[in-house]
Amino acid sequence: MKKKVISTGIFVIPALFIFGLTSGFKFSDQKPWPVPDKYKTMKNTVASDAESIAAGKTLWTTHCKSCHGTKGLGDGPKAAQLKTEPGDFSKAETQSQTDGALFYKISEGRDDMPSFKKKIPDQDEIWSIVNYVRTLKK
Amino acid sequence: MKLLLINKAKCWVTAPVLLIGCLLSLNGNLLAQDSTVAEAPRAPAKVKPVKNTFQSVWLGDNQTVMVPVKGSMEMDIMHRFGTWNNGYQDFWGLFAPSNIRIGLSYVPVKKLNVGFGFTKTTAAVIPQATISSVSGPLWDGNLKYSIITQTKGKYPVSVSYYVNASFNTKKDPNHDIYRYNSDRWSFFHQILIARKVTNKLSLQVAPSLSHHNVVNGYYTKENDSTLKINPSMEFEHFAVAISARYKLTTVTSLMLNYDQPITRHATNNPNPSLSFGIEFNTSSHSFQLFFTNFFYLNPAINNMYNTNNPFGYTDHSTNDPATPEDESTKVKGGRFLIGFNITRLWNY
Repeated sequence: MKKKVISTGIFVIPALFIFGLTSGFKFSDQKPWPVPDKYKTMKNTVASDAESIAAGKTLWTTHCKSCHGTKGLGDGPKAAQLKTEPGDFSKAETQSQTDGALFYKISEGRDDMPSFKKKIPDQDEIWSIVNYVRTLKK
Repeated sequence: MKLLLINKAKCWVTAPVLLIGCLLSLNGNLLAQDSTVAEAPRAPAKVKPVKNTFQSVWLGDNQTVMVPVKGSMEMDIMHRFGTWNNGYQDFWGLFAPSNIRIGLSYVPVKKLNVGFGFTKTTAAVIPQATISSVSGPLWDGNLKYSIITQTKGKYPVSVSYYVNASFNTKKDPNHDIYRYNSDRWSFFHQILIARKVTNKLSLQVAPSLSHHNVVNGYYTKENDSTLKINPSMEFEHFAVAISARYKLTTVTSLMLNYDQPITRHATNNPNPSLSFGIEFNTSSHSFQLFFTNFFYLNPAINNMYNTNNPFGYTDHSTNDPATPEDESTKVKGGRFLIGFNITRLWNY
């Protein structure tokens, strides 16, 4: 009986310890990200053609992929270090947003998500990223 | 024959400042946009200047035509290690004393990059001796202005002007190295001409002029027994750098540089330099790892005093690369060293 208690403890105590450690690193829930009306209805000025999508993919690879992952699943190599859930761009939660809303979020940023309006001052390039994000839909 | 120092302290600082002033006073409409400083014309059909001819202001030892977007601040951390000829025991130069430069630059107005940095090891002319490696710190200030940017139907190439002024602050109370403070200065001017040939391949040609305020000299007796002063090297040195970047992926590129000296000096002619390596880019960083012949991390010093050679080198009897030729042996094959550059960008 004593042996059983000890052997159970060998597994349970480390398991509790590991759970205690890892539970502290869970992503916090994504809080609402309000988008100004001006942006919600903003028209995408760049046609979603092959050239724009290729440009968007290049920018995605350089600036977005490390957190959002190759396919936008939120599984990039830096995602685990984030305090905020990077989201799954293949799902309706992202894809149902307007182009203008995505443009606003890329431009302005929030918390872990950096603002790109200074790093990418050409708005057409940000629209190209929006066009590329649309191709991540499943 | 007596060795002596020839001092030629000219007002070389004013020329680049005046040139930059003239460039800034030009009507902006005459100038194309910088490759990374694109405005936001909303019509998608409009032809825009090409972007990302290069992904960093550096390509190995050379500057590129690129000026980052206005408000960008960049930190450069650069290392050059020992030459690879000591093999495994020296881990091909990686364990040898390294040369280091830390730099900082900022783009306060569109198209203009302003920076400074300090370097550990440099080269200097030792009075009545020859050129030798000396410790610094060597401080440098630099400017780069993007004059035009390649634009389809408008400009076939991008052109930038780069200038660098350096001052060695090494303590020398007895004036053993620097007889006058003006001897500590050197200057470098370069016109960078680049073309993004395809989305993957970019090429650059960059003629340059280095100026040093002091060179060694010697007396010779004329027929009438008067003494004539002869410089052992020219004060000005022309060179040309040819660079190429080939993108393997969006963020990984191969890079190649060749720096050819043009000016012929009476003695101590510098060697050309070949560098080749790989570049990795992220949103805010550029990592460049390469082999090169240049050790000094300062363009004026490198172009004037490079003793390593890509095609054959002189085996000095001591570790001092400035050992006189008559104490050395010519060896076939190049002598390279490992170099790496890291840049970190912030946008304000």
